[in-house]
Amino acid sequence: MAEKRIPRSQKCIAVLWPSFLVAIIATGLFFSAFDPQDLYPFGKDTGVSRLGIYSIGFLCFWLISTISGIGTLYFAITNCMARDRENPGK
Amino acid sequence: MAAANPQISGGSGAADEEVARSLYAKTEKIYPREVHGLFARLRVLGVLGLLGIYYVMPWLQWDGQQALLLDLPARKFHIFFITLWPQDFIYLAALLIIAGLTLFFVTALAGRVWCGYACPQTVWTEAFLWIERKVEGDRMRQQKLDAQSMNVRKFGIKAAKHLLWGAFSAWTGFTFVGYFTPILELGHRMLTFNLGPWETFWVIFYGFATYGNAGWMREQVCKYMCPYARFQSAMFDKDTLIVSYIETRGEPRGSRKRSADPKALGLGDCIDCTMCVQVCPTGIDIRNGLQYECIACSACIDACDDVMERMGYEKGLIKYTTENTMEGKQSHIVRPRVVIYALILAGIMGMFAWSFTTRVALGLDVIRDRNQLYRETDEGQIENVYTLKILNMDAAAHRFRLKVSGIPGMQMKMDLPEIRVDSGDVLELPVRLQVDEDELKTRSTQITFDLVADDNPALSATEPARFLGPH
Repeated sequence: MAEKRIPRSQKCIAVLWPSFLVAIIATGLFFSAFDPQDLYPFGKDTGVSRLGIYSIGFLCFWLISTISGIGTLYFAITNCMARDRENPGK
Repeated sequence: MAAANPQISGGSGAADEEVARSLYAKTEKIYPREVHGLFARLRVLGVLGLLGIYYVMPWLQWDGQQALLLDLPARKFHIFFITLWPQDFIYLAALLIIAGLTLFFVTALAGRVWCGYACPQTVWTEAFLWIERKVEGDRMRQQKLDAQSMNVRKFGIKAAKHLLWGAFSAWTGFTFVGYFTPILELGHRMLTFNLGPWETFWVIFYGFATYGNAGWMREQVCKYMCPYARFQSAMFDKDTLIVSYIETRGEPRGSRKRSADPKALGLGDCIDCTMCVQVCPTGIDIRNGLQYECIACSACIDACDDVMERMGYEKGLIKYTTENTMEGKQSHIVRPRVVIYALILAGIMGMFAWSFTTRVALGLDVIRDRNQLYRETDEGQIENVYTLKILNMDAAAHRFRLKVSGIPGMQMKMDLPEIRVDSGDVLELPVRLQVDEDELKTRSTQITFDLVADDNPALSATEPARFLGPH
């Protein structure tokens, strides 16, 4: 029973931690190329400090990669469950 | 590796199940016993050195400014006398690659010394364990305290511990932010309760991460979160230094009186005192062979050596050794794997050093006026307007000469009498170029801006641009 064998805390770590690392890399790459003060999201001047934009950018990257991680975990677990159903003995 | 590391290289389905169960089993709290000895002293030295560097570094000044400041708000990294700009990102990436390869190289040679002595997780966990021992007492007292139901005394001790941990974590978080925003100003703003919202956020975030990782998660970070712990065995071979129990000497294990002759009792040298298990920060029994949880901290070596000495036996029942040595074969330091890692490392370091030392500390960007393609002057000439962004990344201020070429008879007009840029400054310089219409053969002609420092011809930059006209 893959979905029960893995405690919730481990699932959280498995999703949040790699996506955290990916978010650091993405933030570094993105803001090396783009100065927050040159960015006008949706055509608006944000009026937020650079540190603020970096932080918001980082959190957005983290959120996006977290969603991707949840997807990966979901498919991995549902695949395991399907396999368990097909081979109930194992 | 497969033979010595059955827990992570099983391969078959049953073994995978076993791994999954052991990876995801509910964990019990580990109370590592305090240990004294050569390797414990080495680790304390490492911990003090690294923590010292971490907490002191942002306060160091160099040439009137913070010596190491990754100034995110200003988009400049100051590393002593070097200033890095966003376009120098490649150097930081190269540094990370060099650090990674160095880790591979050291792992192939000496196993997981990084884990045991230098990893931040180990370093801060040691610091937190030290605080815990000062407040709660040794291993026995900690276990006794945790077994009690909540009472006033227990609450007081636990509260004191968490308060100390919290203060230490908060200071760690503050120091962390001090690497990215000038720490003197940051400290001043904190004392006057004027921290910006994001600075506050990151101090709390990093402080909380320290508290959680070093106070609560500890060895679980190594077991469940660390990618290096998962793939480090790929760098291992039979000549890699590992912490190992010498089974042939120790077995059969068993308790005995100090005066007893183990040979007469049919026993090996292991007296089964379980000290090696009690001191282990990851809670494993090294006598079961090499395990992926082992962070090679050698606490068990110190503990066992101590016991062996007291028993009057030879030290080294648990010791640093290699698989080849244990099998009675010759160990080699130089071997293809090590040589290949060393060559790649040397190559990348060489390239880095060469490209960094020949880096031209001058940036030139040419931006065309976006509002107007071209304009006709009163004298009937065609004029294009540009803004030049001149970035002086050098440590000194310079005066520059600007030349432009590409169209005969082209005239350049600037509003400034001279181009002077201070160290670390960006100058935005509006430039107007005028040519006779007859000289323009096409609608768009390629031109080239050349910028050279007056006092240093090597400090130069060239940037192409387009000149637009009516044809």
